Amino acid sequence: MKKCLTFTINLNINSMKTVKTLIIALLVIAVTPLTAQTADEIIDNYFENTGGKDAWNKIEAMKMTGDASMGPQSFPFTQYLMTDGKMLTEIEFQGQKLTPQAFDGEQLWGLNFQTMQPEAQDAEASANYKKNEANDFPDPFLNYEEKGYQVELMGEETKEGTETYKIKLTKNKVMSDGVEEENISYYYFDKENFVPIVSEMVMPVGPQKGMNVQTKYSDYQEAGDIFFPYALETSYNGQTGQSIKMDNIEINPSVEGIDFSMPEKK
Amino acid sequence: MKKIFYTLLILALLPISFSAQETALKGKELFGDMKARHIGPALMSGRINDIEMHPTNTRIIYIGTAGGGVWKSNNGGATFTPIFDEHVQSIGVVTLDPKNPDQTIWVGTGETWTRNSVSVGDGLFKSTDGGNNWKEIPGFENSERIASVVINPNNTNEVYVGVLGALWSDSEDRGVYKTTDGGKTWNKVLYVGPSTGAADVIMDPKNPNVLYASMWQFRRTGWSFNSGGENSALYKSTDSGKTWNKIHNGFPKGDLGRIAIAVAPSDNNILYSVLETEEKDKNGLWKSTDAGKSWEHLNNDFGLTVRPFYFSRITIDPKNPDIVVKGGLTGSISRDGGKTFKNLGNMHADIHDVTFHINDSDIMYSATDGGLYRSWNGGSVFEIVEDLPLSQFYHISTDDAEPYNVYGGLQDNGSWYGPSSSPGGVNARDWNSVGYGDGFRVLKHPTKNIIYSEMQGAENVWRYDADRNRTRTIQPLPKKGDAELRFNWNAPMAVSTHAPDRFYMGSQFVHKSEDMGETWQIISPDLTTNDPKKQDQSESGGLSVDNSGAENHTTIFTIAESPLDENIIWAGTDDGNVQVTTDGGKKWNNVTENLTGIPANTWVYHIEASVHGKGTAYAVFEGHTTGDMKPYALKTTDYGKTWKSIISEDIQENAFVRNIQEDYENEDLLFLGTEMGLYVTIDGGKNWSHFTNNMPPVAVHFIDMQKQTNDIVMGTHGRGVIIIDDISPLRQLNASILEKDVHFFDTEAFNMPEESGFSGSFGTETQFVGGNKPTSARIVYYLKKRHTFGKMEMEIQDMEGNKIAPLSPGKSKGINIVNWNYTSATPKMAAGKTLSYGGFTAPRVPAGTYKVVLTKGKNTYETEIDVKYDEKSLTTLAERKEQEKLTKQLFNMVEDLAYMVYELGELQDKANSIIEEHPKGKKEAQKLYDALENLRKDLVITTGDNYVAAAEPELRERMADLYSNIASSFSRVTASQKQNLQLISEDFAEAKERYATIKDKEGKKFLKFLERNELEKLTIKTKEEFLSDD
Repeated sequence: MKKCLTFTINLNINSMKTVKTLIIALLVIAVTPLTAQTADEIIDNYFENTGGKDAWNKIEAMKMTGDASMGPQSFPFTQYLMTDGKMLTEIEFQGQKLTPQAFDGEQLWGLNFQTMQPEAQDAEASANYKKNEANDFPDPFLNYEEKGYQVELMGEETKEGTETYKIKLTKNKVMSDGVEEENISYYYFDKENFVPIVSEMVMPVGPQKGMNVQTKYSDYQEAGDIFFPYALETSYNGQTGQSIKMDNIEINPSVEGIDFSMPEKK
Repeated sequence: MKKIFYTLLILALLPISFSAQETALKGKELFGDMKARHIGPALMSGRINDIEMHPTNTRIIYIGTAGGGVWKSNNGGATFTPIFDEHVQSIGVVTLDPKNPDQTIWVGTGETWTRNSVSVGDGLFKSTDGGNNWKEIPGFENSERIASVVINPNNTNEVYVGVLGALWSDSEDRGVYKTTDGGKTWNKVLYVGPSTGAADVIMDPKNPNVLYASMWQFRRTGWSFNSGGENSALYKSTDSGKTWNKIHNGFPKGDLGRIAIAVAPSDNNILYSVLETEEKDKNGLWKSTDAGKSWEHLNNDFGLTVRPFYFSRITIDPKNPDIVVKGGLTGSISRDGGKTFKNLGNMHADIHDVTFHINDSDIMYSATDGGLYRSWNGGSVFEIVEDLPLSQFYHISTDDAEPYNVYGGLQDNGSWYGPSSSPGGVNARDWNSVGYGDGFRVLKHPTKNIIYSEMQGAENVWRYDADRNRTRTIQPLPKKGDAELRFNWNAPMAVSTHAPDRFYMGSQFVHKSEDMGETWQIISPDLTTNDPKKQDQSESGGLSVDNSGAENHTTIFTIAESPLDENIIWAGTDDGNVQVTTDGGKKWNNVTENLTGIPANTWVYHIEASVHGKGTAYAVFEGHTTGDMKPYALKTTDYGKTWKSIISEDIQENAFVRNIQEDYENEDLLFLGTEMGLYVTIDGGKNWSHFTNNMPPVAVHFIDMQKQTNDIVMGTHGRGVIIIDDISPLRQLNASILEKDVHFFDTEAFNMPEESGFSGSFGTETQFVGGNKPTSARIVYYLKKRHTFGKMEMEIQDMEGNKIAPLSPGKSKGINIVNWNYTSATPKMAAGKTLSYGGFTAPRVPAGTYKVVLTKGKNTYETEIDVKYDEKSLTTLAERKEQEKLTKQLFNMVEDLAYMVYELGELQDKANSIIEEHPKGKKEAQKLYDALENLRKDLVITTGDNYVAAAEPELRERMADLYSNIASSFSRVTASQKQNLQLISEDFAEAKERYATIKDKEGKKFLKFLERNELEKLTIKTKEEFLSDD
């Protein structure tokens, strides 16, 4: 019951930005589960605590800027993501703007760092992306059924020293070197506040196939009406691979002039 | 509304502020992200119990290993990944659901090739998501060993489980079990008696109502093994397990031992069986061509009769019932229906299981004592899978080299030593062989480059001179008047911290040598119970004699000389005695009677003589060879007069203990090696925490703490050597720290290593490579709560508060470890068409004290760390200061060039816009543009690519390369480098002059044009703005 009450207040004071931050702090405390949760309840709580499904559903595009670092190397990046699946990542490096990966809605492409020319990725990678990652934005759990995904509560587990709910997310199957494979990941939602703090998967495709990939989410902060994790850390088989720190997340930015398609080779 | 909200807020906050949480000194969160690392080795792997092929996908193979869990290959067996790391690592069987093989996997735990050193299982598990999550199936908690899981392919809810059961005791949990609801409920459908287990259960491939079960009467003790009895039999059921009948028509009368059974997948009338009987000439292979109605004896060659308890698997080619493979010492294959056999091709000995590829019978997989092998030609040539670090250590030790080496002996795979870190990771090629046979204890001489190693029963004890590559045997030999020496299979050795050449060994006596094993002196009476009932191993084995020495008993098993006093020596025996001398062996006190809570004759597995007091010692006991799996560990502070148990309920009830390691600084910090992994206490044993960060619950046979690094090094029996780097933060943990929001742990000054070398990795694509110890500075802190909301950042600053480097902080509740590699930021590079690789180099900071600043929301937390120059540096301080100065000079020069190229580019852009939009100014603009472009082409690369179409290096590349070379080498800057620096400096000065001239001439005219026409002025960032831009 406590949950419903705070939920109502949350809607009524939507405009009071500072207070809303407090509300999150409050939710952290108040929405302690009294009974066992279902996967859907946990996911609903997550969306509610991070801005509400209405706000989430209003997202059409996002522009993120920040720093991606791998070991001592750090690259400023900008990424555009669209609900139609389009994606463009640019990094700035030695004065040049480079696109390591982009998706135009059909084709995944990126820069070949030897020739500095754009090249298409293989057909399997594009098809897999279209069926999955392209659907994930703004969040894989948002309207997951419409995407053809399934969720299942696997139980509770301690992650990052913190009690969490473990939710299995089964996305659309992927093709791996000619063979169809399952595409399963696990998300760990903090029991106190229902936001995911860790996700894990065994990479089903690509050069990291078979590796255990773990991503940690933290520094949740407001971007418009939504709380997003501003820090992500990904490790491969337990070795830290990449840290991402967002400086700014812009919801529904203007994307005029942003070209997601692969340029001609020069 | 607002009011209600605030009231709510206050109410909600209340319970938190008033319920002072009790902080427990235990739990998974204590360790935060302190992780174990695995260094293998995998060049010799370990025993594999069972192989399971996917029924339709030829890329997927599973193996169940004797002590290293379940592994899965997605690539036809080239590489494997562990998928069962949260559960017991001793595996009996892996079975895939025939209808849903991608999702549903059954794992029966507890290995089934019942040698003396086997680990124990812990039940039956099922995954319904391809091995990511496992659920224990209730009802099999006491099964100890599961040999078979058989599934009806037409109805996969119908499953039969063959429980072999306890090896060292009676058990009513044995028998064949059946479920018809996918594992929710079970019925025992075949039970013979408390000493007779299901060694194998198989199903007719065409008729799932037909089952065969081989029941085996067997028992092991610490000193003997017995295979066979009147209850061993082969049964058949034709009604889905309701009734069972013996099918012995043709078998010899009398007792039977372990019975192997297989049905041909392509012809269900053909059965093969291997028998162990009372009549030697009737042992070996039997065949039935009428589904078990009658049997014919075909073959009793060595390969078919050798060690039935260890080799009892028959595999039949899925397409051809005449091709039969039998596990054995070498493995045997017949292509004439079992009449004749030849050995399988060369591979590690002791073949436990063989499988055929589902589509191509030329491709075979073989599970051995030394890992998994593949054949591509029907079994005559085998190659090893190089990716399976399943090595089964009995013992490990470390030395004080940098990096330190790990020494240890392996089950059936000899003795080895290898580095704890190596360029490119710890590779197969880094390991060195130092002993044959079964390897056990391997000890480094404390001061000389001499290594002691041994094989089973001290048949050979080697002293290896590693510098001169000379070996000699030095085991104590009986002299006239001596009793016959009884050495344990895993005979104890010890070196002394007081006298480097001193070397101890234990038989029933303690032997001491003061000259590295040249001469021996017995310094004790028989310290064991000397019980003759436990000393006749010649009859061990049962129907097939098996006197390998593995059952030798009433022997000393552990010897510990006190690090504080060389006259204090402890000895523990396999039959339960704890003895101590305080006068170097003149008089021994049997303190066994003073032990508390230890059943009589319980194996004393390890005694640790403490550094914290002369009378202080720890002793661990394990009774698993009597069926007692309970954990036992005692501490004494008065030379064994009184003992206190340091076991708490936190330790799993069947996690029997083989080893304990104390911390050398904090007496309350202890590490316990159990059958189910590592436990740690920070309060002297009141509370224990299971260490599970990248640490499976594998049997930990020995733990050492490396003194210089404070690393915990574990010899595991199934996952090789596992290390937890620098546990010193655990020394500092206490209740008051756990109450703080943030606490930085004190760290010693960090050494900035200067060693550099090569690590060519060709040909290692499918090899296991162990992780290295980080050489970076470790910033270690405790967070009371996981940081999830709001900003949390960390950076290194100099003592004036200038930012040196940003770091990505860990945000876990518990201990967090952040590594800093001593570098500051890379220089900002001039923009060119290609990348300048020299620009990837970040300069290393000078030695000194640095601030670590953690900001978390509005709060800031600080600590300081010290970094120092490599003690092994080849550089003088003056030379180093010069290197740092020139690095800085070049760094600045690289950034000056970057700014110049930026400014030049902005000018060019402006010129371009005029060319395009103002025809009047086109001429001046074009002149300026061209002049600048001429200069730019000499400054940075403007054509080509990053590979073979690369252009000639320009100033940026030459400058950055020199910068990188000087910054990344920690030796004196060479004369050649200085000359090159002069050249580049002059070139740069010249370029600056050219630029100034252009600006003065073409530039001025252009700017005047802009002014005259009141066009927008050029805005250029200051250098500071430019450099601080991302």
